[in-house]
Amino acid sequence: MRPLTPQKIVGICAALLGILFVEGVISLRMGAYPIGVRDIVATLYHGALGQWDVIPSEFLLIVFKLRLPRIALGILVGAALSTAGASFQALLRNPLADPYVLGVSSGAALGAIISLILAPHTPGAIQAAAFAGAAGTVAIVYFLGRRGGQLDSPTLLLAGIVAASFLSAVIMFLMTTLSGRDLRGMAFWLMGDLQSAPSVDLRWLYFLLIVAVGCIFTTSSDLNLILTGEQEARHLGVNVNRVKLVVYIAASVLTGLAVSVSGAIGYVGLLVPHAMRMLFGTDYRLLIPTSAIGGAIAIVLADTLARTIVAPTELPVGAMTALAGAPVFIYLMRRRMR
Amino acid sequence: MPRFVREAFLLWGRDFLERRLKLKILWTVGGVLAACAALQPCAFGASQTQQPHPAAGQAQDADKATNKPATKIVVDETGRRVAVPINVRRVVSLAPNLTETIYALGLEDKLAGDTTYCDVPAAAKDKPHVGGTTNPSLEAIVALHPDLVLATAINRWETVAALEKLGIAVYTLDPHTVRETLESIMLLGDLMGAHEQATALVAKLQSTLDDLQARLRERPLVHVLFLVWDDPPITIGQNTFIADALRWAGAESVLISDQDWPHISMEEVVRLAPEYIVLAGDHLAASDPTKSNDLRHRPTWDQLEAVKLGRIVVASDEMTRPAPGLVEAIVTLAHNLHPEVFGNAGGNSKNGKIEPGLQLVEAHDAGVLCAL
Repeated sequence: MRPLTPQKIVGICAALLGILFVEGVISLRMGAYPIGVRDIVATLYHGALGQWDVIPSEFLLIVFKLRLPRIALGILVGAALSTAGASFQALLRNPLADPYVLGVSSGAALGAIISLILAPHTPGAIQAAAFAGAAGTVAIVYFLGRRGGQLDSPTLLLAGIVAASFLSAVIMFLMTTLSGRDLRGMAFWLMGDLQSAPSVDLRWLYFLLIVAVGCIFTTSSDLNLILTGEQEARHLGVNVNRVKLVVYIAASVLTGLAVSVSGAIGYVGLLVPHAMRMLFGTDYRLLIPTSAIGGAIAIVLADTLARTIVAPTELPVGAMTALAGAPVFIYLMRRRMR
Repeated sequence: MPRFVREAFLLWGRDFLERRLKLKILWTVGGVLAACAALQPCAFGASQTQQPHPAAGQAQDADKATNKPATKIVVDETGRRVAVPINVRRVVSLAPNLTETIYALGLEDKLAGDTTYCDVPAAAKDKPHVGGTTNPSLEAIVALHPDLVLATAINRWETVAALEKLGIAVYTLDPHTVRETLESIMLLGDLMGAHEQATALVAKLQSTLDDLQARLRERPLVHVLFLVWDDPPITIGQNTFIADALRWAGAESVLISDQDWPHISMEEVVRLAPEYIVLAGDHLAASDPTKSNDLRHRPTWDQLEAVKLGRIVVASDEMTRPAPGLVEAIVTLAHNLHPEVFGNAGGNSKNGKIEPGLQLVEAHDAGVLCAL
């Protein structure tokens, strides 16, 4: 097998970004409000030039206030969740690891529900509380998962699973105290929802995303070595504990940020990294960037389907990722076995 | 992902490593694509944050100047301040009870769209739908160009907030009692410039209720178990308008609960020993002795005194909607729970009895309202 060159990484990423871009344009065209491709292009063109007064106010509303922010949010959430998934899989050397197994999403959901009880309908409160919940859970699971001063993968995984089920039980208990209106909102949140745009500036979230993915990407050669065995990696000069800590924190930040703006969208963190492994191999230098872009592609596709398939009603995007993701995953898995 | 995509990547990669010229071309293409993608989020971010863009703001102001000439600031029933146009021309209703009220006020021409659950009156089904009550499509709402969206507490806060962000006025009605339902009808009439119709309608409904109250004044309250869902049993709390509607019908819910829709255990049902069991809306199967789903054929249920005596009443769908039809539903329920007062007239005479002791009321459509 030929060695992985920077050119190959850039080439594959560029191709994937091209797919994402085309998909974004198609997604922009789809929706309950009929707009032709020409009008979309014209709107984007004038928007890019800053000629806002030329654009009909309806197109401005639909394209720039509804569809584009939603696609941008989808890209953010997809990239964050699937990079986090790929990182946790390397960190725990377990193919089943993803942000949900470690209890991070349950922690975020608990934060969200507490904010609904204490300070209902405060703008941004749900997101802040969800992030705090995710961070708190990550810290607790991290300290439970250490053995003899070191991060022990099986212990960490067990601690995560226990924390997840305990937090879910607390959520079920608290949900009985919610009134009908909040309960409906919460149910949507638990299934994942991109319709309600966050009140936080998307640019900050993108900044966080790029920093966290960048951190993980710089450790990807070390992750490759850790995957062959921690002892071996240590002998080859890798500071295993530091790498683990950096990746763990970065992946948790990614999860917290995704869950806090979109609710609990399942499957992406598990399926996309595996799909990318099957397509492009297991080298983490390639896997981290392709997972990020692949996750964005997956979520934008799932969300486009979720808002068009049963239009004018909308499906929760979390239902769509599982519905569309599982068959694709099985296809890839079967193909590899042949 | 099909195989050819992967092979395309591999071919591409090989070519571009081995031939310098192609490499340069591909680098450029890749760079442009990457730049596009890198610019994308920035553009989104800009459109997100610079919402009150000067030019865009002007365009919208101009839009308002031509299409929405004047608004008034009102406080809706959830305490939000809303700028409602003085002349409402097009409304979108996000709840069945609002749609029904709009039709009852004769304002259906102003109704631009409703939800898939709006089925009373039947004509409401033909209006353009914007989706369900909890997950309507914002785009579909925008596409209908409403100058006002009407919501209730069954809609999510997120939907209301998102519409508000898009510059669409959302007025939320939230009646908790029968009296508040009448007030909401009045409010809706005022909001949509139908003060006279609303006054007449509310006066008629009020006199019906007063008449009912006068006739039931001497009667003791009947203790009923109101089931909004029969399996698992879900009943009503004290703060719902259904609990209040039951009081107007000369009845009282056996369960005292602060939760709006509490699940109730069978043990609790047995302990509370309701005199009547009232089923909501479309749970006809649970009161039809020919069906196996009937309460009389279920273990534990068949041991209840009310079930043994066949005291199972199906209230009309309207009983669960705070709309004008609620009053008619209350009257029919009162006839069923207090047959001696009304001489067994009313609802029973129309539908007949399935078996002695069983009183069945079928769902009434809004046509009955006119006969009121």
